[in-house]
Amino acid sequence: MIGIIGKVLISLSFVTGLGAGVLYFISAKNDDDKTLKIGNWLTGIQGLFLISASAMLVYLLFTHQFQYYYVFNYTSLDLPNKYLWSAFYGGQEGSFMLWIFFSWFFSLGLMKWVRAPYKAPVLFFLMLTQVFLLSMILGWHFGDISIGASPFRTIAEEMPNAPFIQANPNFVPADGSGLNDLLKSPWMMIHPPILFVGFAMMTIPYCFAMAALWKRKYNEWVNPALPWTLGANVALLTAIFLGGYWAYVTLSFGGFWAWDPVENASLVPWLFGTAGIHTMIIQRKSSIAQKSSLILAILAYVAIVYETFLTRSGILSDSSVHSFVDLGLYGQLLIFMIVITGLGLGMFFWRYKELPTQQKESKFLSREFMTFTGAVLLLILGLVIIFGTSSPIIGLLFNERPTPPEMSFYNTWSMPLVIIMALFTVVGQFLFWKRHSAKSLVSALTYPIIIALTATVASVVFGDVRDPYYMFYLFAGWFAVIGNGWIMIRLILDNPLLIGGTVTHIGFGTLLIGILASSAFNTPLLDKKTADYNKQVKAGLITDEQGFKVTDPITMLNLDLDEPTLINNQYIVTYQGYELDDRVRPGQQTYKILFEPINGDKPFYLNAEVYPMLATATEGNLQWSVDPDVHTGLFRDIYLYVAGSSYVTQRNNSMERKAGKQKSAADGADVPPTQTIKFSKGSIVSVDGFEMNFLDYAMEDTTNLPPNTTIGVRAQIEFKHIASGERFLLEPLFALYNEEGKTFVFSPPVELDKYGLSFSFSKVYPETNEIDVEITGLTEEYQSEWVLIVAEHKPFISVVWLGTFLIMIGFSISIFRHWNRERKVK
Amino acid sequence: MKPKLIIAIVAIIGFTSLLMYNFGESISTYTTFEDAKTMTNAHVAGTLDDTQDYGFSMETKQFSFYMKDEAGKAHRVIFPKPKPNNFEEADRLVVIGEMRGDVFYARDMLMKCPSKYNTVDPSQFTSVENS
Repeated sequence: MIGIIGKVLISLSFVTGLGAGVLYFISAKNDDDKTLKIGNWLTGIQGLFLISASAMLVYLLFTHQFQYYYVFNYTSLDLPNKYLWSAFYGGQEGSFMLWIFFSWFFSLGLMKWVRAPYKAPVLFFLMLTQVFLLSMILGWHFGDISIGASPFRTIAEEMPNAPFIQANPNFVPADGSGLNDLLKSPWMMIHPPILFVGFAMMTIPYCFAMAALWKRKYNEWVNPALPWTLGANVALLTAIFLGGYWAYVTLSFGGFWAWDPVENASLVPWLFGTAGIHTMIIQRKSSIAQKSSLILAILAYVAIVYETFLTRSGILSDSSVHSFVDLGLYGQLLIFMIVITGLGLGMFFWRYKELPTQQKESKFLSREFMTFTGAVLLLILGLVIIFGTSSPIIGLLFNERPTPPEMSFYNTWSMPLVIIMALFTVVGQFLFWKRHSAKSLVSALTYPIIIALTATVASVVFGDVRDPYYMFYLFAGWFAVIGNGWIMIRLILDNPLLIGGTVTHIGFGTLLIGILASSAFNTPLLDKKTADYNKQVKAGLITDEQGFKVTDPITMLNLDLDEPTLINNQYIVTYQGYELDDRVRPGQQTYKILFEPINGDKPFYLNAEVYPMLATATEGNLQWSVDPDVHTGLFRDIYLYVAGSSYVTQRNNSMERKAGKQKSAADGADVPPTQTIKFSKGSIVSVDGFEMNFLDYAMEDTTNLPPNTTIGVRAQIEFKHIASGERFLLEPLFALYNEEGKTFVFSPPVELDKYGLSFSFSKVYPETNEIDVEITGLTEEYQSEWVLIVAEHKPFISVVWLGTFLIMIGFSISIFRHWNRERKVK
Repeated sequence: MKPKLIIAIVAIIGFTSLLMYNFGESISTYTTFEDAKTMTNAHVAGTLDDTQDYGFSMETKQFSFYMKDEAGKAHRVIFPKPKPNNFEEADRLVVIGEMRGDVFYARDMLMKCPSKYNTVDPSQFTSVENS
């Protein structure tokens, strides 16, 4: 029932949106204020319908109504509430709803602040996008044609041919299949909403550009469009940052950027938007570059729609390993893309002849030329990235089944481009605030160049940089930081509100330095033995069992429980056991790995996690996911994840045994009947499908024991059968007694008949809080605890984040300035 | 024609052809183990052959498994890193590397997981390349 209401609400929202769009169109055509007002009312109602539909979906998610496919597919009963919220936008349908919501929200702002003659056409184009997006979640069916995929469709509608639906059309699953464990991260909760804020805001410069073309008012539109474009850029950059940070701290990618199509999808619009900001600024200052501002504002949004098409239509799925869930929206997304692109470019070229042209060419050394060049470079970089991301299509020119380009393709092309950009930011900024001749410019730049050179030489020496190309790149980065810093200091004394641009450019330079330092100088943390082995591999001295030369160095390290190991001649690293925690992810182990710097710095722990992917577990097969930990430092991070452990191996073995998959019979043959296992207080021993945790000692009242007993103590051991979760408290006794001047140990066995085990407490190590327990009846040999880690030094990651923050701050200062000016105009 | 326009056109053509050339060099084609024997940087697509043993060896610190390529032929693949997240779940594997004898040495491995897990993020697609 709720599902039908939800569908109706979305349909109503679509219809009212359509109505509002028509009214805006009429109003824009006839400059009629009355229709505009009715259109605004309809837009308001459209938003209310959408919000009610969203509330319905949230209600379904929170009440676990698994008969709805969306609820079934993205949630489960044990999902904490906060992640039920993220499940709302965890799928395509919900993320469309979120995008529409933000778009609608900004349309309220546009209603309030945009003035005639742009108001009606701007609102028309914004509504056009909303109507398209709403059509993606309609779920209408006309015979064979269906429009949109509704988030409110039931399982029966989704899989009408499934046998359980055929047997019982009202089938309701008892539990959902759950949210992907990787997405259960706080970063993942905030990343998508911010991304869609960016997407929604990036529509606005497009709307303004289209309104300008329609109304033939090519100059004034940049003033109101500029703060929105800046805002869209800050939102996109924040989203990109969160995505990169998430990839760094929760995925074992090992880096923050991988030129992944999905990452590129958010970077390209940002680059186009930034290019647009540059031309808008010179258009505002000097009344030139109207054409470029218009086309870039159009392209920034077209890029968003194009990348949405690439990543959501399933077009990447056949020829590439990349794909999103294919909801059969291919046709609709294609129409959306063609209409937005066609309208944008069509209008632009239709009006092209009458667009203002620059009478006099700008000189090379002018702020106009420099800023314009910056925009062109940003545009080219964006085009190169689009080119690479479109490999499944463009690659068909080269072979039938093209792979994505290697990462080096992006690096090769972006590096020279960003070097030129960095150099131009400084020259551009110097010319932006003051006229210069070639001669005066050189003298003005002398000090910044000297300082930047010094900084470059220092970092080359410090970082042992050998490659001249990298040296030049480093210089470009330092030059951008120092040259723009130079200007910034002067501007602060003058008018602090004007520093937005310089701060952004300083951030850009910082980012360049950080990217090189963090990606080119990753070093694995290894012990001496492994490092020596790697040296031999490098020298080509090692061959494998097939007789081939081993070419890959080992980047992993094995640690035994409580055995300190010296790594990199820098840290003494000790594995101190793990803790089990079922709160967020059932079965999650948190490994405690202690790092003690040998130079006497403060010791610290890295707590990497491993958890089973229960949502996909099958009988006899459990998959494990890792969650790295990062120790953040000013100069370098230590990044660590657990690639394997004795616990995981044992769990796997016992799973396989249960499923009868264990192949080698030899495994069970050599198990000794009685094993002596050392327990240390608080740490878990896992063997044969059981977990034992030595909690504490309990003093035994010696009066119950023979009179010649000198000491009597019981160990409290919590015993758990993993498969059933059944727990027992075992309290084996350890006592010493004297007889005829000799000391004897008395350790009577404690029987656990259910599992055919017996335990006796045979030894105490008072100084280390460890005890020996002899266990009889285990069918698996206990192995000492070990953990396999991958640890790396990642230098100067903090510099990458710093650069990103500075860019965000710079943009924000600019928003503030342009917004203030816009408000004063009224 | 104005000389500036000619320069611009030449520049654009030069840039585009360089880009195309470089792009053509840096992409490759999905292939089979048989064809990979003559290549040094082959992308072989296929599925995990779980009828044979697979796992991580503590001694050599390598993950090895058998993969069935699209021609249906299974070969042993050695990957010098721990078993990646979501490995068994992947309904398609792409290994990148070279054949040495009958064994494929993978430098990198890409996994495509069932679309159910696809969302707006790259999580469904895990590159194990450490860089």
